Amino acid sequence: MNHVMFAGIIGDTARAFGVDWPHFIAQVISFSIVALLLHRFAYKPVLAALEDRRQRIAEGLENAEKIKAELKRTEQARQEVLNEANAQANRLIEEARAAAARVREQETQKAIAAAEQIVAKAREAAAADQARMLSDLKREIGRLVVQTTATVTGKVLTPEDQKRLAEEASRQVA
Amino acid sequence: MSPALRTKLGFNRGGITVFRSGLFDALAMMRLIKVILVLLLVAGLPAAVWGAQEAVLSEAHTDPVAHVEDHKAEHVLPAHAVELWRPFGFPITNSMLVTWIVAVGLIVFAQIATRRMQDVPSGLQNFWEWLVEGLYSFLEGIIGQDLVKKTFWFFATIFIFILFANWVGLIPGVGTIGYKGPDGHIAAPWFRGANADLNMTLAMAMVFFLCWTIWALQSNGPIGFLKHLFAPKGETTGLLKLLMIVVFLAVGVLEVISILFRPVSLSFRLYGNIFAGENMLEAMARLVPGWLGSILIPIPFYFMELLVGLVQALVFMLLTAVFTMLICQHDEEHAGAHH
Repeated sequence: MNHVMFAGIIGDTARAFGVDWPHFIAQVISFSIVALLLHRFAYKPVLAALEDRRQRIAEGLENAEKIKAELKRTEQARQEVLNEANAQANRLIEEARAAAARVREQETQKAIAAAEQIVAKAREAAAADQARMLSDLKREIGRLVVQTTATVTGKVLTPEDQKRLAEEASRQVA
Repeated sequence: MSPALRTKLGFNRGGITVFRSGLFDALAMMRLIKVILVLLLVAGLPAAVWGAQEAVLSEAHTDPVAHVEDHKAEHVLPAHAVELWRPFGFPITNSMLVTWIVAVGLIVFAQIATRRMQDVPSGLQNFWEWLVEGLYSFLEGIIGQDLVKKTFWFFATIFIFILFANWVGLIPGVGTIGYKGPDGHIAAPWFRGANADLNMTLAMAMVFFLCWTIWALQSNGPIGFLKHLFAPKGETTGLLKLLMIVVFLAVGVLEVISILFRPVSLSFRLYGNIFAGENMLEAMARLVPGWLGSILIPIPFYFMELLVGLVQALVFMLLTAVFTMLICQHDEEHAGAHH
């Protein structure tokens, strides 16, 4: 009884709002087609494009991260190379400095030796000159003594006298 | 309370309230609060609309001028769509015609917008991308990442199609252009708001019901689906367990009744709002005689109808999305609670 009444209410409501099977089924088919067409032609292209863009952005970000890491590594390597070069340069400078000091020392020693040699040679030459002058002086003095003696005594001296006098004079000069 | 909701609210098995910590809970809570807020907002609006309409209609009936008009124009909007043609036995109504105009319009718009896709979108492409992507993110926030991939086509159609169908129904000419009857009134308008036809809203609700059943069976399996409806939740032992089995069996029967009633509530809510809106606009247009009154008076109500159109599209989509989430996320949430 209740079932009949319930069905009657449903039937009356459906009739009042124009709901019947042919129209309802037609609308179900129509809506299903509309939904499928909208999905295929309205959302799918946008969703595909958005997904594609999302992937590309993710890839881009990943690449950017990679590039950043690479840059960091390169920077580190550059710094290392720079530090090494710096250290090497410092070492070279130190070595050069040491070499220069060594060369200077050697040259100084050489110069000192050369100067000493020059001085010695000069000394030798001076001594030789002095000796030559002394011998010249002795000879001259001897000659003068002989000449003076001959003049004072007014006699002709024999060669022996001359030799003796000269030797004597030179002995006295020495 | 459904298990998904119990988990979201932080009730664990055995009925002891424990708010699980972690990001997932915070997100789930925010999601739920968002849905509740939107539903509260939209639940209040139809009441306001009906209130305004009733007030205006009662005013119209007490107005002596309106009485005269009533007599002259006893004509009211028919509650159902009018059949225009029946090619090969397939009935084509005026509301179906508007359905197809809206669908073709949307497809053409989307095709134009996405014809030359740019990496930096602008113009129509930007708008369409904003709409689709915004909707996708919104639904993803409610029903989750996995479910949205499977169901987006349906919910997007529900929202976008209902929204534009509602708005297209407001264009002057819909319901007023058509074949004249012997009494001088439009007997068979060529166009009728797509959702001002209960066949259409019921069709959408039934298609959803079918999809909901398929998605529920896919996520839970037939046994899981039945267990989700009727099995006792929580861990109890002894006599209490027996009691729980009886209680949850009864709850399951109520749940099934509520599920079966969903297509009715969904379809009547949308149909009622849109059909009432059209009636209200017509009543407003007839309120003051003369062409100026019939143009000026309905204008504020047009803005309200624009809002009602948006809100009803949102309500239909949100309710269907939440129903889907409640049945499909059961296993996932349950498994999450175990960890």
